[in-house]
Amino acid sequence: MANGRKQQRTWSIDELRLKSRQIRATCVQMAFDAKQGHLNGAMSCVDILVALYYGWLNVAPPLTDNSADPARDRFVFSKGHACKSLYAVLADRGFIPLQWLSGYAQNDSPLPMHPCKHALGILETSAGSLGHGLGMATGMGYALRLDNNPARCVALLSDGECNEGSTWEAAMFAAAHKMDSVLAIVDYNRVQSVGRTDSLTGGTSFEEKFRAFGWAARTVDGHDIAQILATLSEVPFERARPTAIIARTRAGAGVSFMEDQVLWHYRAPSQDDLDRALAELGARPIYTPGHA
Amino acid sequence: MRRAFSETLFKLASENPRVAFITGDLGFQVFDQFEKAFPQRYINVGVAEAQMVYVAAGMASEGWSPIAYSIASFATARPFEQLRFCVAYPNLSVVLVGAGRGYTYGTSGVSHHAVDDLALMTALPNMRVVIPGDPGEIEQLLPQVMAAKGPAYFTVGRYGEPRYNAEEPAVLGKARLLRPGKSVAILTTGEMANESLKAYEILKSVGMTPLLYQFHTVKPLDTQTLDAISQRVAAIVVVEEHLPSGGLFSAIASWRATADTGVKLMRLGPPDRFALGAVQQQELRRRLGIDGASIAEFCKTLWRKL
Repeated sequence: MANGRKQQRTWSIDELRLKSRQIRATCVQMAFDAKQGHLNGAMSCVDILVALYYGWLNVAPPLTDNSADPARDRFVFSKGHACKSLYAVLADRGFIPLQWLSGYAQNDSPLPMHPCKHALGILETSAGSLGHGLGMATGMGYALRLDNNPARCVALLSDGECNEGSTWEAAMFAAAHKMDSVLAIVDYNRVQSVGRTDSLTGGTSFEEKFRAFGWAARTVDGHDIAQILATLSEVPFERARPTAIIARTRAGAGVSFMEDQVLWHYRAPSQDDLDRALAELGARPIYTPGHA
Repeated sequence: MRRAFSETLFKLASENPRVAFITGDLGFQVFDQFEKAFPQRYINVGVAEAQMVYVAAGMASEGWSPIAYSIASFATARPFEQLRFCVAYPNLSVVLVGAGRGYTYGTSGVSHHAVDDLALMTALPNMRVVIPGDPGEIEQLLPQVMAAKGPAYFTVGRYGEPRYNAEEPAVLGKARLLRPGKSVAILTTGEMANESLKAYEILKSVGMTPLLYQFHTVKPLDTQTLDAISQRVAAIVVVEEHLPSGGLFSAIASWRATADTGVKLMRLGPPDRFALGAVQQQELRRRLGIDGASIAEFCKTLWRKL
């Protein structure tokens, strides 16, 4: 695969598109089971996660916290509230048991509403508080470089957490240290918790902001898996510069009545919502609901 | 103390190739030797305390032993959430060093006063809080803090603090007996140890010998020694350069509330107010009644009433 790194197997683009639909169906089912929201951000980053986990990241199951391969890429899932899609991808790739998904957000689950490294040791970091992922990735990247370890450090950020000043402290540091092993992917779904990204940021461009901070940056269609993979294959875009990929996505992507609405940051789907969503997606959840 | 810190740090980094030093753009000329010898392990993140903590946390998660350094007020309060979420919660071995806590930078004003740092840091689960009082305690405790697993807050004074003798070495987690005595126990932390020692000498000259303990480790609190002290004295006076909430007194008051003892407990320290006026540390201590002479005067009155 990309950069000559190992992947266990490869999938065709059609297979990956099907996986994306299944992951989305799984997210809606998990939200329904747990009566939890946060579907907007979970659905918007599915294609990015599928591209990363099936086609680019050097991570392979089995992987447990005490047998982690030091050469693995460090993937920091910073937009913690959106973790339904991460959990679903981890289960589908065989990192965690499928049936854990039915316990999502239940008491003492290894899959809480925001990822917790104490509950799920294979994570690089816990998440849930926004604006920390990029900084953590740069700290890991600095250490790995001193260790002559070529593993890449990838942070998936929400556009909302780019409101946080700490994200830009990290951006400054990565550029100052010419960290081309660092990749930031911004899930630019344009919908935040109660507001819209563009109005909160004065309509300024993420790509231009990252460039101004010394990064190499490109914008992609965050739902076009082939385009995401092609772009990932060119990372780092420039030597001695960190890479930013701005992925233009739609909040709630894949389900027409959820797309691009602030409401679905919070709302948990009803039975009717679930049925309609699964019908639209033309896919089933990857786990059997109710068998925790 | 800063010299003791930079020298101890240099020694630790010479012995352990995984020790790294991260500064929030502070420590002018203090760490030149370190930077020269270990350029890759000296990281100036700029005036970016959040990023300072991220670099430390990220490096610790990769098995490094990072020390993050800034002025105490900025090191603790500015990146508090980073410390809570990225250091304390994952229990990473990051040593956060706060320089010039208390009113060290008295004339710089409220921005530079760190008299809520113990409250902030002791509030965090997993966080050790270690406040040395002299260069000797820096030299003894920094290696112990670095060797311990999990995060710690460690403070460093300025220059020229006198070294003191003690009855026993400084052991992480254990209150240190500075002077044996009776009737009244003076319990202190950080550089107030020196003011308390001045008070001890004054009291000794009039025939009063209080027990004097340095609680360099504020968290975890050495309740075993507190239990023993409470058996031997009638009154405990806690001397602290910290606001009333969340400092050494607050921790000892919590212990006292549930301990099986009738020992009297009193506090000398600043009130719950910002110290306005940009006043020198020593003058502030005098005004607040926590310089050696004031501590001695308070203890004399107390002693006579016992």
